[in-house]
Amino acid sequence: MAVSRIRRTTGLVLIIGSLVLTAACSSGGGTDAGTTGSPTAAEAGTVTLLAHDSFVVSEALTEEFTAATGLTLEVVTAGDAGTMVAGAILAAGSPTADVMFGVDNTLASRALDAGVFEAYTATDAARLRPELAGDTADGRLTPIDFGDVCINIDDRYFADADVAAPTTLDDLTRPEFKDLLVVEDPGTSSPGLAFLLATIARYGDDWTDYWQRLRDNGVSVAGSWTDAYTGQFSAGGSGGTRPLVVSYATSPPAEIVYASDPKPTRPSTSVMTDGCYRQVEYAGVLAGASNPDGARAVVDWLLSEPVQADLPLSMFVFPARADVPLPDVFTRFAATVPAPLQLDAQQVAEGLPDWLAEWGAVMGR
Amino acid sequence: MTPRLAADDLVIGHGSTVIAAGISFEVMPREIVAVVGPSGSGKSTLLATLAGVIPALSGRVLVDGADVTQVPIHHRGIGMIFQEPLLFPHLDVTDNVAYGLRRQGMSRAEANERAATLLQWLGLAGYEQTSVDQLSGGQAQRVALARALAPRPAVLLLDEPFSALDADLRRRLVIEVSEALRHEGTAAIHVTHDLAEAAAMADRVITVPEAPESGPSALGRPAPPA
Amino acid sequence: MGGGDGPLNAPRWLGWAWAIPAAFLAAFLVYPVIVLGARVGLGDGWSGLTAASTWQVAGLAAVQALASTILALVVGIPMANVVSRYRYRGRALAQAMVTVPFVLPTVVVALAFRSLLGSGVPQGFALVVVAHAYVNLAVVARIVGAQWAQHDDRYENVARTLGATRWQAFVTVTLPGLRGAIASSAAVVFVFSFTSLGIVLLLGDSTTRTLESQILRQTSVLLDFPGAAATAVIQLVLVTGVLLAGAMAGRRSPRRTMRPVALRPVPAGLSGIVVRVAVATTVIIVIAPVAALLLDSLRAGGAWSTAWWSAMGSVDAGTTRIGSPLGALGMSLGYALVTAVIASIVGGLAAVAVLSRGRARVVALLAIAPLGVSAATLGLGTLLAFGRGPIDLRGTGLLVPIAHALVAVPLVVAVVAPALRATDSRRLAVAASLGARPTRAFVTAYGSVLRVVMLASAALAGAVSLGEFGAASFLARAGNPTVPVQIVRLLSRPGEESYGVAAALAVVLVALTLALVLLVDRFGMSALQRSARTA
Repeated sequence: MAVSRIRRTTGLVLIIGSLVLTAACSSGGGTDAGTTGSPTAAEAGTVTLLAHDSFVVSEALTEEFTAATGLTLEVVTAGDAGTMVAGAILAAGSPTADVMFGVDNTLASRALDAGVFEAYTATDAARLRPELAGDTADGRLTPIDFGDVCINIDDRYFADADVAAPTTLDDLTRPEFKDLLVVEDPGTSSPGLAFLLATIARYGDDWTDYWQRLRDNGVSVAGSWTDAYTGQFSAGGSGGTRPLVVSYATSPPAEIVYASDPKPTRPSTSVMTDGCYRQVEYAGVLAGASNPDGARAVVDWLLSEPVQADLPLSMFVFPARADVPLPDVFTRFAATVPAPLQLDAQQVAEGLPDWLAEWGAVMGR
Repeated sequence: MTPRLAADDLVIGHGSTVIAAGISFEVMPREIVAVVGPSGSGKSTLLATLAGVIPALSGRVLVDGADVTQVPIHHRGIGMIFQEPLLFPHLDVTDNVAYGLRRQGMSRAEANERAATLLQWLGLAGYEQTSVDQLSGGQAQRVALARALAPRPAVLLLDEPFSALDADLRRRLVIEVSEALRHEGTAAIHVTHDLAEAAAMADRVITVPEAPESGPSALGRPAPPA
Repeated sequence: MGGGDGPLNAPRWLGWAWAIPAAFLAAFLVYPVIVLGARVGLGDGWSGLTAASTWQVAGLAAVQALASTILALVVGIPMANVVSRYRYRGRALAQAMVTVPFVLPTVVVALAFRSLLGSGVPQGFALVVVAHAYVNLAVVARIVGAQWAQHDDRYENVARTLGATRWQAFVTVTLPGLRGAIASSAAVVFVFSFTSLGIVLLLGDSTTRTLESQILRQTSVLLDFPGAAATAVIQLVLVTGVLLAGAMAGRRSPRRTMRPVALRPVPAGLSGIVVRVAVATTVIIVIAPVAALLLDSLRAGGAWSTAWWSAMGSVDAGTTRIGSPLGALGMSLGYALVTAVIASIVGGLAAVAVLSRGRARVVALLAIAPLGVSAATLGLGTLLAFGRGPIDLRGTGLLVPIAHALVAVPLVVAVVAPALRATDSRRLAVAASLGARPTRAFVTAYGSVLRVVMLASAALAGAVSLGEFGAASFLARAGNPTVPVQIVRLLSRPGEESYGVAAALAVVLVALTLALVLLVDRFGMSALQRSARTA
């Protein structure tokens, strides 16, 4: 009796399991086969784009890509930009995809050194903004978008407190802004790293003194952007108490876009335009790609006008092309940074291990 | 003479379910009383109630004339042995026997000495350090007896302690246990469904009725309809 | 007859039970690590083995993990008692609820704690320890509870009649009887806390760094692969040591204190009140952070609103990013089911292998090794091994549940092995002596216990899969996010809507987990009660 009951239970589990497995396999295969017919055709007709997990693009645009090229675009993600680049470096020469999007100017030199990319110049490369036009690492990278990491300000807090908000990096160390700033750990967060690089670009060898002063002024260090902005920032929506946070120059328009209806007419946050660090994101054809032609088509597509115009509202970045109009919410509320800070990629690659160690020593982390 | 153990108009059961009521009897010092009756007649519930494992629904339990009805199990001085030896599997034979003595605050050396004496008396000399996993059924039940006797309980309650053993062993153990009880001068209540076993061990036998409806008995009057 | 001897007259297939888990682990654990190792080499990474900073981090992480483990045990053991031993209305719900914290994505746990405690509680050691204990309550409550539910109360009664107070009986009889399960769960909680990543990044400070956070930094910030490899080796060795110690303690655990037992009624009087208060406390502890999330999901623009719930279907419609929540729900459930099946087969067979001799034991040990292998290492290795030709598994949708199963298999072993060991192998001998054929005798002896613990562990495995984020974001195609991936993507952008919808999705995830665990528990419970009646 016990035996039959066991068999029934086991049988049921096995049946459910195999059903799910079958469903999983068929749904997995289905997307490929459904669009292109036989598996070999699917192989030839697919191009794989490796992106970090913040990559977003409107579905209509991927459909346009397929309509224009006859290729199915498969997007695979592999963690954040750093993890993705690490994977690409390890797979250099025999990559897991055909083309990569999202390597930025702090990571680029390491990927280039490892021979991850193959040279390709996009058809619209001439339309790049002038300051990005030369930024192609001998044609191996194509700038797609850029953004600035800046201090964001909770305007309501400073209005209520009747205190003028800080305007420079130096202001942040002043006593009236004690315990008001939250930054991200540069060892675990990309905006956190950008802010560290901004201070190094600004203060040179004295940057550790600056951080010592920030620490004395009660700066809070969060593990991630989400924890800093959503958790600790007073305008982040979940009861945080700090009105200054390291975020992006495009966060205010995002506040409008992702607000509840009726949308506010203006954001409750603004951007401190001093001490911003510029991040540029690139795309590149992966060396050893199984579909190099498709990969080139994807780079062209990323720099095409429709995708460039889509970037601001899907990823909250500025398009790399100069000739693409910005959405209204961007022109009104996204901060334009007159003099963004930047460090040479090679210098970042060489200096980073020591900088992080020194930062840790200063901050006691 | 004050009885070692007395039940006074005891009502036993679980929660709101009464199994038997009006139970009154006495067990005199050094006396062994057998309780016989079919299974399901509340014998085990009676023992559990006397020991304090389950609360009495009403009535009193007295040990040496003192009311222990509200006294927690470990202060009643009532020992118990079950059908299975229930030896603590993580302790060796000596530590099992010495368990109760250690709880009384006796030093390890003293406790081990008394354990050794009891084990020797029960023919288990040489098994002191043995893991209880390696004992035979009869040996394990003897260790359980030694463990129960060691703290010198006022009364020992035996809940069908031999029913899992084969007939030969059972006969031998019945004799050994009654000798041990008399040697230690321990009063006991022995629950069994085997009349011969009861007669062999006990000074006095009280019975439980076949069914509660059949009228008052030595154990008590039947439960009132719930 | 020592604790580890195989059962007499074991069926022949038992001797080969190790083959399936061995093959699975070789393919999906050992092979990717070798592929990655061959690619990276240790080079001058060996200097990492002697670097003071690495050992300093290991020491800090050990202190943190020890504190987390002790707190989880102190809170979890009483929980195991009340949720798995007594019969009362809502018991199944309480037991399922305890499982929920374990499967919440860490980013959600961190947010829930922030929402609950405000910014008042400084991040750092205490917050990390509390969060780790909270997340791991299910590990203790379920592993210890599974054994405690079948623990024979009469041992305590014997101890009491011998003069032990209630507390003495608990310490000298109950705890040693549960030693296998406690050691097993303590080792798992320690290792989880020791290798923790999400919680320490989100709630920690310099005192709570772990080797895993070190590995991630070396991999994805410094791109120092040999250094990361060296740290990963150190972590694997330390974790294996802890797990071995846990397994040793488990092996010496006593047999024969277990029998199938039906749930007990809540006792009358004071102890009954204690049980009820404990149940209420358990529920409050578990539910408070979730309730904070629920409230957050219902507040928009400073007023009560269902806006975020109605936005769930339309949020980010038309982009490749968030995907439809319904689709994600299906995706998550599918992964959870496949994970539960794979993990319970692989883990169950590995645990059964513990009962036999020799090489099979090695497999049982190997089965818990994924706990020590750095997630970043395994993720990259899997990508290199199975993310490109000739074996590209990424497109099949199997890679994610396989990765989830790797995480869940150690838990299955941790649940099943102590229960099997504590089951009296003499029942097998008795069944065999009555003329049963070996397989039938095995089923008679171990069937009921095996079925109960296997179902419990399948639920745990499914729950692990439901809440997992790393592998689901790392190894999946972008268009098919799971619910945790959706939540994390929402949380990584500003705006009230992002947070509100993420909170609503987190509540959905909690409800889903509760339903899954309840379902499986019900299945297992009726089986348990049947076997208790026939025993």
